[in-house]
Amino acid sequence: MSKASQLPLAVDGLTTAFRVEGRWYDAIRDVSFSVARNETLALVGESGCGKSITALSIMGLVPKANGRITAGRVLLDGRDLVPLDETEMETIRGNAISMIFQEPMTSLNPVLSIGFQVAEALRYHTPLTGEAARARALALLEHVKIPSAARRFDDYPHQFSGGMRQRVMIAIALACSPQIILADEPTTALDVTIQAQVLALLAELKSETGMAMIFITHNLGVVASIADRVAVMYAGDLIEIAPVEELFEHPMHPYTEALLSSIPRVDRDAGDLKPIAGQVPPITAMPSGCRYADRCPLRVPRCATMPPLVGLAVDPNHQVRCWVRAADESVGA
Amino acid sequence: MKTPLLDVRNLSKTFVARRGFMGGQSAVVHAVSDVSFSVATGEAFGLVGESGCGKSTTGRAILRLVEPNSGTVLLKGEDVLGANPRRLRALRRQMQIVFQDPYSSLNPRRTIGQTLTEPMAVHGLGTAREILEAVRTVLAEVGMPIDAANKYPHEFSGGQRQRIGIARALVLQPELIVADEPVSALDVSIQAQILVLLRSLQQRHNLSFVLISHDLGVVRHFCSTVSVMYLGRIVERGPVPAIFDEPLHPYTRALRNASPVPDPKAKVIMAKLEGEVASALSPPSGCHFHPRCPHVMEICRGVYPGWVQVAPDRGVACHLYPAGVGSTVSAAAAPGR
Repeated sequence: MSKASQLPLAVDGLTTAFRVEGRWYDAIRDVSFSVARNETLALVGESGCGKSITALSIMGLVPKANGRITAGRVLLDGRDLVPLDETEMETIRGNAISMIFQEPMTSLNPVLSIGFQVAEALRYHTPLTGEAARARALALLEHVKIPSAARRFDDYPHQFSGGMRQRVMIAIALACSPQIILADEPTTALDVTIQAQVLALLAELKSETGMAMIFITHNLGVVASIADRVAVMYAGDLIEIAPVEELFEHPMHPYTEALLSSIPRVDRDAGDLKPIAGQVPPITAMPSGCRYADRCPLRVPRCATMPPLVGLAVDPNHQVRCWVRAADESVGA
Repeated sequence: MKTPLLDVRNLSKTFVARRGFMGGQSAVVHAVSDVSFSVATGEAFGLVGESGCGKSTTGRAILRLVEPNSGTVLLKGEDVLGANPRRLRALRRQMQIVFQDPYSSLNPRRTIGQTLTEPMAVHGLGTAREILEAVRTVLAEVGMPIDAANKYPHEFSGGQRQRIGIARALVLQPELIVADEPVSALDVSIQAQILVLLRSLQQRHNLSFVLISHDLGVVRHFCSTVSVMYLGRIVERGPVPAIFDEPLHPYTRALRNASPVPDPKAKVIMAKLEGEVASALSPPSGCHFHPRCPHVMEICRGVYPGWVQVAPDRGVACHLYPAGVGSTVSAAAAPGR
């Protein structure tokens, strides 16, 4: 029994490049992680860190005109999705893997009723038609707790609030009982009290169905409340991955550490904020070594080459991509 | 009693919304109702609430970027709302605004230098040489290189543009800055840089701030006093951090509990503020929060609660705190009907 076959999704060495003014640059490089059944993996990082590109690469949605996956595999139940053509991918998207986007208003069709749009996913991906699809769609809308779903079945997206639209998106994503949900900033556009409701709903649905969830966000507060494990990205590199409590208690990568101490917190007076000096380098001028080196207080000459992602001796589930920190903590390096 | 720098009394603003076919019907939106607060010199005052609660309209009404319908705004005792255009211009020199989105609040066709000199030219301040000197000083103050003056907004990142937006507000040497979600569009690490910058400016120039934000963490970090708004009204006011550690109003408590904290052991209490923010077009009767309130009582459905000053620096608008009683949080936990 191989371990990989137990994992619904494993990403291995994924590298995606984009063309900028005639030259190709790696937007993400050598990204590897996996997610287990009934597990929520948070993919966290600031704008431009590659978290959304990772999602698009998994879904086969990298725009072909100026983007391409140059290396690596995306294994769904052991089957590599990278070489699949568009027709084959269409049977997987919305079926085995579903996606929820940030802005529910732009993801829903404004001229079709929400009931129709949920039923459409069923008619497209399942044998259900007509009344059966309608009945199942209504059940899904009730499942995501749309109040008086039967009465609102034929309403249009503009008649719903942001939170309710996101519930509709979740209903569509759940239509075919996917093994994996990829949620890209699903609560970022929502007010905090509504965000809390949607996070509660997602957590509930996950434990009910046992699906795996990849939750992309920039908000470490949201990560703390929903994730089982966390992968931190910086400038296209996955730099640290650990169980959620471990990551927040013992951040190893200097970037993770700095990020955590730059958040103004509502629950305590953490004293002065310690901002990270400098900025992320532009994609056209990335260093070939550690991409955080320029801003890093621990920089050593070795950082000019890219460090590997290695597990710590104390906890192999805690992996970090840093010459300095990995050397301190692991046996092998 | 010392005159506060800014004194806002019973400020109200309504908008008329067109609805129905071709806007045939109209409805009145009470964006801001009866809002009062004051800000002392050097104080950072926070206005916090969710979208549509009227916090931005309040900020704009103070500067008369939207004309309030009623109420008074006094800046150092001088009436802002009654000021004639000439006086208003002089008053605005003393109060400036920083906007949320540094991408849309800078003119893309003007160099940073032009953007920064314009306010001084408008106010007829200084010779060309003095203006140039002021631009240099203000750029240095916000941590931007001098040669930024010759560049255009698109050449800068979001964080740098927000620094420029702050420089534009500072160049007139105001005493009050209204900062409307100044860090919401920025990444966490950049957000921290801007907050540190604002704090240092506050200390160096004894600046007063009205900071408008939906982020309780930002408000806790930056402000010493905060008012919480819900559907156009202030529901609670008090000192930071007491208001977050011991919230009195059930809405403040819900907002606090729903705010994500970067600590897995303090998981967001996802329970259970049911329902959504009602439309400002048709706010619920009585206390606007009653349909979502876990402690709702019969009186809440019919009567908007009056303002109760529970401590000299702490007030709340909620029927759980009857006037004259120095009520505690545990009183709020008493079963409602």
